[in-house]
Amino acid sequence: MSGRLEIRDLRVAYDRAIAVSVDHLGVAPGTLATVIGANGAGKSTLINAIANWSRAAPRLSGAITVDGEDFSRVSACDRARRGVVLVPEGRGVFMGLTVEENLRAGVGAARGAGGRAYALAEIYDLFPRLYERRRNVGAALSGGERQMLAIARALRMAPRLLLLDEPSIGLAPRLVALLLATIRTLVDGGLTVLLVEQNVVAALEVTDVLYLLERGRLIAGGTVAAMRDDPRIIASYLGGGHG
Amino acid sequence: MNVAQQFANGIIIGHAYALVAVGWTLLLGAARLVNFGHGQMYMMGAFVAWWLMSATGLPYAAAVPLAVLVGALLGALMQRLFLRLTLSQDLVNLMIATLGFGQILQGAAGLAFGAKPERLTSPLQAITLGGARVSCSAQDVLLVGATIVVFLGLHWVLRRSRFGAAVRMVAEDPPLAALYGLRVAPVYLAIFAFEGAAVAFAATLVAPRTPILTSIGFEQVVMTFVVVVLGGIGSVGGSYVAGLLLGLYTAFFSALVSPAYTTASVFALLIVVMVVRPGKLAASGGFAR
Ligand SMILES: Nc1ncnc2c1ncn2[C@@H]1O[C@H](COP(=O)(O)OP(=O)(O)O)[C@@H](O)[C@H]1O
Ligand SMILES: [Mg+2]
Repeated sequence: MSGRLEIRDLRVAYDRAIAVSVDHLGVAPGTLATVIGANGAGKSTLINAIANWSRAAPRLSGAITVDGEDFSRVSACDRARRGVVLVPEGRGVFMGLTVEENLRAGVGAARGAGGRAYALAEIYDLFPRLYERRRNVGAALSGGERQMLAIARALRMAPRLLLLDEPSIGLAPRLVALLLATIRTLVDGGLTVLLVEQNVVAALEVTDVLYLLERGRLIAGGTVAAMRDDPRIIASYLGGGHG
Repeated sequence: MNVAQQFANGIIIGHAYALVAVGWTLLLGAARLVNFGHGQMYMMGAFVAWWLMSATGLPYAAAVPLAVLVGALLGALMQRLFLRLTLSQDLVNLMIATLGFGQILQGAAGLAFGAKPERLTSPLQAITLGGARVSCSAQDVLLVGATIVVFLGLHWVLRRSRFGAAVRMVAEDPPLAALYGLRVAPVYLAIFAFEGAAVAFAATLVAPRTPILTSIGFEQVVMTFVVVVLGGIGSVGGSYVAGLLLGLYTAFFSALVSPAYTTASVFALLIVVMVVRPGKLAASGGFAR
């Protein structure tokens, strides 16, 4: 199993303001780690930094290793090619490409990525809806279908480490549960996943390790069993604090 | 007026406009970039072919591919020179830089090839086809046929090939393309090389119709601009149709009114179209159709 992530002294700044400051974050191979935090806490900034990717131009510093290899100076494109695959928040698929074109577009890059590359047939087994929609362009898909496609194309790229930024955003509760269950199945199959979520209740059901991010800092972290009883989690996210 | 003959002329000129514009159409549609050195690259294509034939005695059929190769290299050189502007999509500076590049080409061509009008001669120009009512040269037939092949080929590549998908990805969202593991810079390089090659190819086919001067670039870039704007900013199919309509328009305008005012009237047409339907001019990602 591969995909061990280690981050040390990561600082990300937009202009002058430091948005994320994380001294240490690790994800063990074959596990699902989830970073939760409120809107604006820095979740996207953090997960984008792990992919060395952004639509803005933040300044990054710190060390990132994957399976012991130093990735700190590797470009976003090369990280994707080497198996650190990000599904970004919002626009994550090409609207002008069909489902099948989206699924074929990244595959040439998968050689040597280090993870397991899913064949097209496996993708369609996993997401039957995408098979039905394979000739439709991204623009014609629903939000849920787009999110499935975004994850599916990432799986095609043989990820060692799959980075998911709020895949549940804008989806109906039933779809959220289905999507997270699918992600859990992938992890049980050996994939390493770092997930960023605001939907804490749903995420708790599938996660191994939970991190709590507040104003760009990790203020708590541990196994789900331990974190479930953490007063900060209960107070902020599980509707506690009333009684 | 011989209506049938003007119609034929219009179709031929229209295909010439479309072929001259095809490279810029892709550049604009796929890379959202402009090249105001386009007209001078046309001029270079014609003069390189002319020089190869007159200085080395190569036949026309050999001069054409070599001029296309030089065009591709010029396009690639341009992209390397303006790499930073290209990747950052700095349109205003790219406009000025490519305009300057064109002026340098024109100056260099003036020094190298002189200020006299020259003739790029194609053996097909002398072959007349048709009858008393409608006639054209074999060169015209080649021009129309080659234009159709280039447009169909481009359409096929964009729609059906892996490379075409990469071009569409770069057109839609370059940062997202990086997450798919796609290297963006070589795609831009290929688009510029195609732009240079296509305009040089167009020049070798169109230029035998008239004498060539090192100053002919301006008229070409003007017509290309009109075709690209009328066609819907970067739409491949739209440019073909726009080129054809523009060719018919100029043919009939020259015959009915006066050839002297054709260019001015094309601009008037352009302004009217831009005022009447400004919202429709953007291809909005559908450029590959
Ligand atoms: N492009 C940007 N430019 C400047 N500041 C930004 C930019 N993107 C995010 N930020 C700031 O960084 C902080 C973290 O944002 P983000 O990572 O998007 O949070 P989250 O994903 O947890 O909602 C916020 O304070 C936000 O205002
Ligand atoms: Mg976010």
